[in-house]
Amino acid sequence: MQKLGDFKLPQFFNYPPYFTLQPVRDTREKQIQLWKDLILDYCKTHHIFVIGLEDQEFPLFSNPAIERSLTYEAREAFLSALVAQGRAEWLDKSRRKCLVLWHRIQDWANIVLDFVKDNGLEDSVMTVEEIRTGIESRGTELHGIDRTVLMRALKMLEQKGKLAIFKGTTADDEGVKFSI
Amino acid sequence: MRRRPGIGGLQTAAAARDQYRQLGENVAKIRTDLMKEQLTTFRTQLEDFARKHKNDIRKNPAFRSQFHNMCTKVGVDPLASNKGFWAELLGIGDFYYELGVQIVDICLATRPHNGGLINLQELCGLLRQRRKSDREAVSEDDCLRAISKLKVLGNGYEVISIGKRKLVRSVPTELNKDHNEILELAQAKGFVTVVEVERRLSWTTGRAIDAFDTLLDEGLAMIDDGHKDGVRRYWFPCVSSISTPVGADGYGSSKG
Repeated sequence: MQKLGDFKLPQFFNYPPYFTLQPVRDTREKQIQLWKDLILDYCKTHHIFVIGLEDQEFPLFSNPAIERSLTYEAREAFLSALVAQGRAEWLDKSRRKCLVLWHRIQDWANIVLDFVKDNGLEDSVMTVEEIRTGIESRGTELHGIDRTVLMRALKMLEQKGKLAIFKGTTADDEGVKFSI
Repeated sequence: MRRRPGIGGLQTAAAARDQYRQLGENVAKIRTDLMKEQLTTFRTQLEDFARKHKNDIRKNPAFRSQFHNMCTKVGVDPLASNKGFWAELLGIGDFYYELGVQIVDICLATRPHNGGLINLQELCGLLRQRRKSDREAVSEDDCLRAISKLKVLGNGYEVISIGKRKLVRSVPTELNKDHNEILELAQAKGFVTVVEVERRLSWTTGRAIDAFDTLLDEGLAMIDDGHKDGVRRYWFPCVSSISTPVGADGYGSSKG
């Protein structure tokens, strides 16, 4: 059986034609909608930020139970639809890697703000790594967050004057000064 | 009667005609009264019966179906009016209107997936899921009855028979004989291929593809190119739903 943990797969995942891009526009739109929801939902549940289109291990790309898997074209179509909606971004020009934003950057920024307030860090300094892996963020959605996503959220907050990002001694050592 | 001359004779004749007419009217009246009395008796009996078996009619789908049959035979339609005595007595009208609303709901909800054509069995199963409180109390017969009541809303809801199965149509798509034959063929496995259609129905390739194209356009079919043999399959969500495994008889029959 597929290792999908507690994740409950939708019924369409077991219906073979959903693995072939449909030729009729209406049907295809419905199909893409279902896949978009599934991808976001799955990535959110499993805290997945980056999908490699050529990744044969990604569990949603194939269903051994019905012996079907998504063609490259279909994978690209579903992810492109997410990109068009602002829920994903291509990480390279050749479209091999895709960043999935199951929370939009704006939402991530709010999560950071809540995190800061909850922990009374309004005037503190933290490194980016601390936010991602530190003890304060343990058990929150920020724990293990993709670095790219976090930096984008932090930059958004910087623009709003909620914090200042400063360079550390190394590239991995960027810090943040909150001023909320 | 010997015809007598004079005015007296004419009057007698008129009086006789009058009497005959009165007699005739009396006879007719007696007959009507008798008929009325019989009808009243019958109605009372039927009411008594309905009252006595009220719970059975409400709770037992098989019994309800038989009661309906009986009513149809004597020309009574308990669903004809919601305000009628039957509705008051049995609440049967409300039951079917409620079912009707739920059926419309389910048809709309599943339309994106099945293109507006749904297996009666599946519809019935979804209906039972929705009415969790009395899951067993809705039979296919009830569904059909409720759908027949939806016809007053104009075109749209209709039951069509494809092979052994009944499908409920909620879009005004007209299916021709070719489409029906393909759907019937697809019932076995949930899908068919062009080659199968050619072979089983002795059609030309063009005819088969033409019919498939229409079914695809209507949203009733989906293509599947993913099988390892590389042959394109046409799937029909209306005959094998994703919520019921292919070929499995998902829901118990109405005779329970």
